[in-house]
Amino acid sequence: MKRTLFLATSLSSLGLGLAGCSTIDGAKNALSHGPLFNGLKGAEGLTHAVLGSHGLAKEYPDSAVDHEFRQNGNNTPGDSRYQGLVQTQFRDFKLVVDGLVERPQRFSLAELRAIGNVTQTTRHDCVEGWSAIGKWRGTTLGSVLAMVKPKAEARYCVFHCFDQDDSGTAFYGSIDLAAASHPQTLLALDLNDKPLDADHGAPVRLRIPIQLGYKSTKWIERVELVASYAAIAGGHGGYWEDVGYDWYAGA
Amino acid sequence: MADRPTVYKHSLVTRITHWLGSLAMLVLFMSGLQIFNAAPYLDASDKSDPGKRILAIGSDSQSAMSPGRGVTQVFGHAFTTTHVLGYADDGQGGESPRAFPGWLTLPAYQDLAAGRTWHLFFAWILVACGVAYMVGGAFRRDLRLVVLRPSDIPKLVPMQLYYMRLRKTPPEYGKYNPLQKLAYTVILFVFSPLIVISGLALAPGVDSIAPFLTPVLGGRQFARVWHFLITFAFLGFFLTHMVLVLTTGLGNNLRSMITGRYTLRKGEEGLGT
Repeated sequence: MKRTLFLATSLSSLGLGLAGCSTIDGAKNALSHGPLFNGLKGAEGLTHAVLGSHGLAKEYPDSAVDHEFRQNGNNTPGDSRYQGLVQTQFRDFKLVVDGLVERPQRFSLAELRAIGNVTQTTRHDCVEGWSAIGKWRGTTLGSVLAMVKPKAEARYCVFHCFDQDDSGTAFYGSIDLAAASHPQTLLALDLNDKPLDADHGAPVRLRIPIQLGYKSTKWIERVELVASYAAIAGGHGGYWEDVGYDWYAGA
Repeated sequence: MADRPTVYKHSLVTRITHWLGSLAMLVLFMSGLQIFNAAPYLDASDKSDPGKRILAIGSDSQSAMSPGRGVTQVFGHAFTTTHVLGYADDGQGGESPRAFPGWLTLPAYQDLAAGRTWHLFFAWILVACGVAYMVGGAFRRDLRLVVLRPSDIPKLVPMQLYYMRLRKTPPEYGKYNPLQKLAYTVILFVFSPLIVISGLALAPGVDSIAPFLTPVLGGRQFARVWHFLITFAFLGFFLTHMVLVLTTGLGNNLRSMITGRYTLRKGEEGLGT
């Protein structure tokens, strides 16, 4: 009898313990969204102000390169327009650079290569925690911006992409002009001495080594200069930012 | 107890930074495990390198829906850790492939973005607490009472014997006993800077303005190893702290960290004010 009682008491306290656990889990989950939680994102601005966009990412020797560079995030864009461009090796592709600029322009891949061939072997740090080293070649975003001449009110570059997720939400990203004119911020065309393949962001992707990998937007078809990104899609400046990731990804 | 003298032990700055810092450490611990879950392995290298993997927590589950086995690999040795690590509580009443279980992470469900938001906010809070505590203590000049001095070293063994009840009386000491000083000194001047530095080394923005940090720690992935290991050193300190708080007069200890007032215990008469 006593033993049964003991067993029953133990089991019920274990049950209470587990229920307590799920109550705590429920509280932890409930606290992880909503206006109060969004207030915590204010720390991002402080981190951005402290770290700035003036440092230089470490450059590695070619021997450090990962030849099987890890593919992550969304898969190759599936839409027919993109697939058509892949089949013609982006022969007819033109990158649009417009918005708040004096001289909106369209650049073929050959024209982008002609602007300035810059090579950079840098480490790509993914927000998930892994790192890989790639050799990137392309033109600095700064030199492209110099050709289109941003207007005084332009503050951000928004990168519109070919890609959409399974629910049809368009992929996009943005950085400010300080990050855009950084000497290591590239519109990359090659990875490891080969033109970018579709998995790694062909035909043009951003490469911004002083921030985490999700800022290095893939499959860019248009760069738009804007004064604010608040009216674009979810309003947080990018697909991943709309999901909940920080806009400033230097930490 | 009642006729023993009561002293003002902890300043307001110490008490505020103690409780706020404790909350920050709890949030950082749980959100840190959430972040770890996004890449549940540690490599002693710069870039990711499975050949230098020292810890991996995974599952052999074929899909998120099919039940699986949790497997933890330490230096290549595999251990089955189903229900605890690798395949565990998903924070929503079920189980799924994930390194650390939902009851240990913040949020409980898998959400890297939310984990990062918690972590990067409370990292600033903890640094602010640390700076306020150090500056406040240095200003009042009582920080020196916490720091281990050469004269404390011969007293370490007698103090340990006293704790183990192999010695009737503790050696003479001031506000903190020699073992407390050793623990606090290591935490404040070794582990705290290391966990901050190893965390900073993970940020590409920091790497670009302080490029010496990451190589000192053995590379970017190695910095993750340090950050992880020091976390568990802090956990060890916390558990020891809990045992001592519980066994040396819980009510008195708690009151001293809330109101500042502490009733001296036997052998602490020398504490004075």
